[in-house]
Amino acid sequence: MCGSFGLQAQEAHLGRKMHCRLLCQFLWLWPYLFCLEALPIHKVQYDTKTLIKTIVTRINDISHTSISSKQRITGLDFIPGLYPVLTLSRMDQMLAIYQQILTSLPSGNVTQISNDLDNLRDLLHTLASSKSCPFPRARGLKTLEDLDGVLEASLHSAEVVVLSRLQGSLQDMLQELDFSPEC
Amino acid sequence: MACQKFCVALLYCEFIYLITAFNLTYPIKLVCMPPNTTYDFLMPAGISKNTSNLKGHDEAFFEAKSNSSGTDYSNLLYKTTFHCCFWREEDKNCSVHAEGIEGKASVSTVNSLAFQQTGANWNIECWMKEDLKLFICYIEPLFKNSFKNYDLKAHLLYVLPDVLEESSLVPEMGSFQPVPCNCSAHGGCECHVSVPAAKLNDTLLMYLKITSAGMVFQSPLMSVQPMNIVKPDPPSGLHMEITDSGNLKIFWSSSTLVPFQLQYQVKYSENSTTSMREAYEIVSATSLLMGGVLPGSSYEVQVRSKRLDGPGIWSDWSTPLIFTTQDVLYFPPKILTSVGSNVSFHCIYKNGNKVLSSKKIVWWINLAEKIPESQYDAVGDHVSKVTLPNLNATRPRGRFTYDAVYCCSEHECHHRYAELYVLDVNIKILCETDGYLTKMTCRWSANAIPSLTGSTLQLRYHRNSLYCPDVPTIHSTSEAKDCHVQRDGFYECVFQPIFLLSGYTMWIRVNHSLGSLDSPPTCVVPDSMVKPLPPSNVKAEITVKTGLLKISWKKPIFPENNLQFQIRYGLNGKEIQWKMHEVYDAKSKSASLPVPDLCAVYAAQVRCKRMDGLGYWSDWSTPAYTVVTDIKVPIRGPEFWRIINEDITKKERNITLLWKPLLKHDSLCSVRRYVVKHNTSLKGTWSEDVGNHTNFTFQWTEQTHTITVLAFNSIGASFANFNLTFSQPISKVNIVQSLNAYPLNSSCVILSWMLSLSDYNLMYFILEWKILNEDSEIKWHRIPSSVKRYYIHDHFIPIDKYQFSLYPVFMEGVGKPKIINSFTQGDIEKLRNYTSIYVIVPIIISSLTLLLGTLLILHQRMKKLFWEDVPNPKNCSWAQGLNFQKPETFEHLFIKHTESVTFGPLLLESETISEDISVDTSWKNKDQKAPTPMVSLLLTTPGPEKGSVCVNDQCNSASLCEAECSTISCEDESRRQPSVKYATLLCNSKSSAIDDEQGLINSSGSKCFSSKNSLSKDSFSWDIETQAFLLLSDQHPNIISPDLTFSEGLDKLLNPEGNFSEENNDEKSVYYLGVTSIKKESTVFLTDESRVLCPFPAHCLFTDIRILRDSCSHLVENNFNLGTSDQKTFVSYMPQFQTCSAQTQKIMENKMCDLTV
Repeated sequence: MCGSFGLQAQEAHLGRKMHCRLLCQFLWLWPYLFCLEALPIHKVQYDTKTLIKTIVTRINDISHTSISSKQRITGLDFIPGLYPVLTLSRMDQMLAIYQQILTSLPSGNVTQISNDLDNLRDLLHTLASSKSCPFPRARGLKTLEDLDGVLEASLHSAEVVVLSRLQGSLQDMLQELDFSPEC
Repeated sequence: MACQKFCVALLYCEFIYLITAFNLTYPIKLVCMPPNTTYDFLMPAGISKNTSNLKGHDEAFFEAKSNSSGTDYSNLLYKTTFHCCFWREEDKNCSVHAEGIEGKASVSTVNSLAFQQTGANWNIECWMKEDLKLFICYIEPLFKNSFKNYDLKAHLLYVLPDVLEESSLVPEMGSFQPVPCNCSAHGGCECHVSVPAAKLNDTLLMYLKITSAGMVFQSPLMSVQPMNIVKPDPPSGLHMEITDSGNLKIFWSSSTLVPFQLQYQVKYSENSTTSMREAYEIVSATSLLMGGVLPGSSYEVQVRSKRLDGPGIWSDWSTPLIFTTQDVLYFPPKILTSVGSNVSFHCIYKNGNKVLSSKKIVWWINLAEKIPESQYDAVGDHVSKVTLPNLNATRPRGRFTYDAVYCCSEHECHHRYAELYVLDVNIKILCETDGYLTKMTCRWSANAIPSLTGSTLQLRYHRNSLYCPDVPTIHSTSEAKDCHVQRDGFYECVFQPIFLLSGYTMWIRVNHSLGSLDSPPTCVVPDSMVKPLPPSNVKAEITVKTGLLKISWKKPIFPENNLQFQIRYGLNGKEIQWKMHEVYDAKSKSASLPVPDLCAVYAAQVRCKRMDGLGYWSDWSTPAYTVVTDIKVPIRGPEFWRIINEDITKKERNITLLWKPLLKHDSLCSVRRYVVKHNTSLKGTWSEDVGNHTNFTFQWTEQTHTITVLAFNSIGASFANFNLTFSQPISKVNIVQSLNAYPLNSSCVILSWMLSLSDYNLMYFILEWKILNEDSEIKWHRIPSSVKRYYIHDHFIPIDKYQFSLYPVFMEGVGKPKIINSFTQGDIEKLRNYTSIYVIVPIIISSLTLLLGTLLILHQRMKKLFWEDVPNPKNCSWAQGLNFQKPETFEHLFIKHTESVTFGPLLLESETISEDISVDTSWKNKDQKAPTPMVSLLLTTPGPEKGSVCVNDQCNSASLCEAECSTISCEDESRRQPSVKYATLLCNSKSSAIDDEQGLINSSGSKCFSSKNSLSKDSFSWDIETQAFLLLSDQHPNIISPDLTFSEGLDKLLNPEGNFSEENNDEKSVYYLGVTSIKKESTVFLTDESRVLCPFPAHCLFTDIRILRDSCSHLVENNFNLGTSDQKTFVSYMPQFQTCSAQTQKIMENKMCDLTV
């Protein structure tokens, strides 16, 4: 009996040792696992900010996008205004509208910006996925279905205003991304 | 499969109609009867039998039975309408309807067999095209001769009601739309009706009106649903392949236009030497697996198609495909694959009429290498398979860009082979995104891929929305990108605009008729391939006071990532030696670098790259250059010295200060002016600005005068300056005990000196030197006080004398100099010796080299002369039977000869000889290595000094004779064949031609000309040939000058081994040399035989020297001088050895041989 008890105790001791070893191994691997997980997100965040800066610079590089703050342009209410974007989903929604408008613009300058917005939205989706956010891909506004008619009548105004507002929105986004926005 | 048709026969009447439904065998036969024939109709119940009189009643509906196809319809009335019926084989009765007078119709059934025997019959075929747009009816007379002579016209009248219901009325007559049919010459007519897509399932009502020879044949009314009679086009793309298991498989292409599935009927036949079979198969797939393929067989295949589910019409048969198999079958016959892959070939080998067992098949590649049997597999009894693993790229062999794989029996291979193309498709694609991040250019080279005829290359890509996958794979949904070949052979593809962060997976596809190959895919993200624009606004300057090279720049607007910078800078020039500097601070906009030379122009360039290492370095920016300006005050003032000009009469001493202009690295970087600062005890300190001059004169009046020279630039005065104090007491202080000058060479002199102890503070020395006794420029150097030996580098002329002065300069003043006026004793001589050595030694070496070369060349030429000129003595008769390996066997010849030579001169005529005759005898023993002795004989008429002989050891010695005489030459050509001994007699005729006869007689005793002279005059060259002549005048043959005596030396020479005996002479009249007298008669030589020597046979003599002139003109000219002695009669003794030409030699040898006969 004593012998069996001693054996059990020994087995229990061995079992504890095994558990400790596994735990140590897990703890040892944890930083690596954490790093493996963190590295892509860090890269995505970095790329997101860099891409926003790139788009802002692109808009800056288009000379005619500066707009006087003294004048308010009317009739282009479908273009998102400069309101603070707090969540990732609202960011995506806003970018979807901008992308929809830019795609409709016939100017060759904005095609690259439209592609950049596409990449930016993908990055936002990746960020949202990393936070396990439910993040359906946003669609453009239905009210913009007659966008072509509006743009045909006021192409210059539309391009200047949309680029100007996009630039402002992106700069806002850049600031908000530093604070890890919510879903 | 029978086609189900519903045909509606409608009464052509406003009131009565009748619809008859029956199954119609396709195609339909339309049978019509002549109008004047009466038949019995099988009337259906309820309908009266009506045998109407059809003449003139166009309303009448009838069925007629014509007699034959040859019925003459021309007699029939114009516009007679024949009503016809349809006939089919299954139904012997033909349903017709007749139109009565009252407008009522009657329907009857008649025996159709009777119709088709005698009536006008047509085949009618109607179908829908597979595009479902066109309805076609084709009418063809069954008996084509019936209407060949008449105008055949046909119309199809149709109506397409929206909905045809059974209860609805028959459309009215006017609602039928007529469509003219195209009738061809052979009698067929084709009618086209366009059917809207929406009405494909509606019922189409129609009937045909055929007009010919004034008669109108009208078909019954027909109804059809177009969708039910769709006739597809015949299948296309028919081809056959042999499967891996050795079966024949037929493939074809299906129509893509029909909206329903099709079934196919395959008709194939196999014709081989052993069997012949034909089969029909119906399948729903677009391929059919036939049985095992047989080598040396022929297969013919045709396919047709029809709607699978529902009614339809079989298409026409496709064009037959004939497939003939060879005796050796490879399948596949050609394979295109990429490096590293595994491929398999199959083979069936038929040898004669027997198919070889698969186990007996062996495989070879390129007919050179047998494939190991471990790679064989037997697939069935007759199919052998070989697998080639991990293939290497095919190396083109000549024009063959493939490897030939042979299937063989054990000992023989059939000439047919399979082709294996293995391409290395590992193509590297390099992409680069431009500095504006809007364009990505990808480049790749196809040079690695050998040109495969008929192949095309294409870049295909697939874009991931974000980043690249871990393992790039080839996507099925890919796009092709247009690429253009550049001058460097690379293909260039441009993506613009781009998705910066998307992953572009790309690969190159090689398209070929044998298949397509894809290169390994590669994935790039444009953002990580950026080559930024170079930094702009680059500036370079040397900073004032700090003295650093400062380079500033402005970073490019893209990319937004952190950038690292690289600076390269260097002294500006043709080839700049760049130094590199890295800047890892992304925010930095400038860098300051230390440079050794602050007063030089530096060039600097900057480039950048992403800090994380991704992408490429930008191009270098445009270079920026520094401007040379004053950086700091001059480091020091100039070194200066003085020249004292003392005017004893006036007791004035003028001092001229001399200094060297400051260099840039001392002045940093320019000198605007010099200032001389004076300091005397009486006048104190004052300065004088001397501008940019480098000398200054002032008067030394006081006991002590201290001078300082300062240099000024735009920043200020020099920091450290030299002082020089002029003091009379100090000028008498002598601390330099000795001064020696040792010349090293003309550009360097060593000076050494010894100093004595002194209480004064020695600052430095001034060494001054100049050429003595000349008003040349004084040169000077400042030497630190610690130096005891100094090397002066200057151009010293050895013949000049130099004065060297060493001045000790103390803090208190300039001491007494030590002056020497020459180099240390013996040094000049050494210097001169050195100079002479430098000149003479190379000359001596050159001369020795030249001499050695000359000797070597001479040695070679002598060897060539002696050994090339020796003919084979065995060719001559006198040498027959002699063994030249054994000298004892032929030495007697020469012994005799010597004797004969002794008497040689006695043969000469006693009269005046107009020729110089020299007899040269040469002897050489085996071991004798001394130069061949020469015997020179001058034969003249007897006289006081006649017969003198000139003898010399050297044939060509200049000391032989001073006087001009005949050339005396000797030659020992047996120098390397000591067993051969012979003599050469030579005489030059030139002297006789030139000299006066009497003069020659009188002076011949002393006239031996040197060979040198002879050589020069006659261009007689020993190098070219050896010539020996004995020229005799045409005088008495047996008279020899009695006074002609030989000297003892000559005797010895001629009798080295004893005298010849008279007996020998008698016994053998022909010797080595035959001399005789010739009498001249006209142009013929007459000879008398000599008792001593054998005569020249008449035919051996040169009766005309032109023989020689032709063959050896130089020989003749040189030795006979024939230009002036053509008419002379002489006998020439030709030496047996000639080298003037092959022809001449041959002539000479022939002559000589004749002589010895």
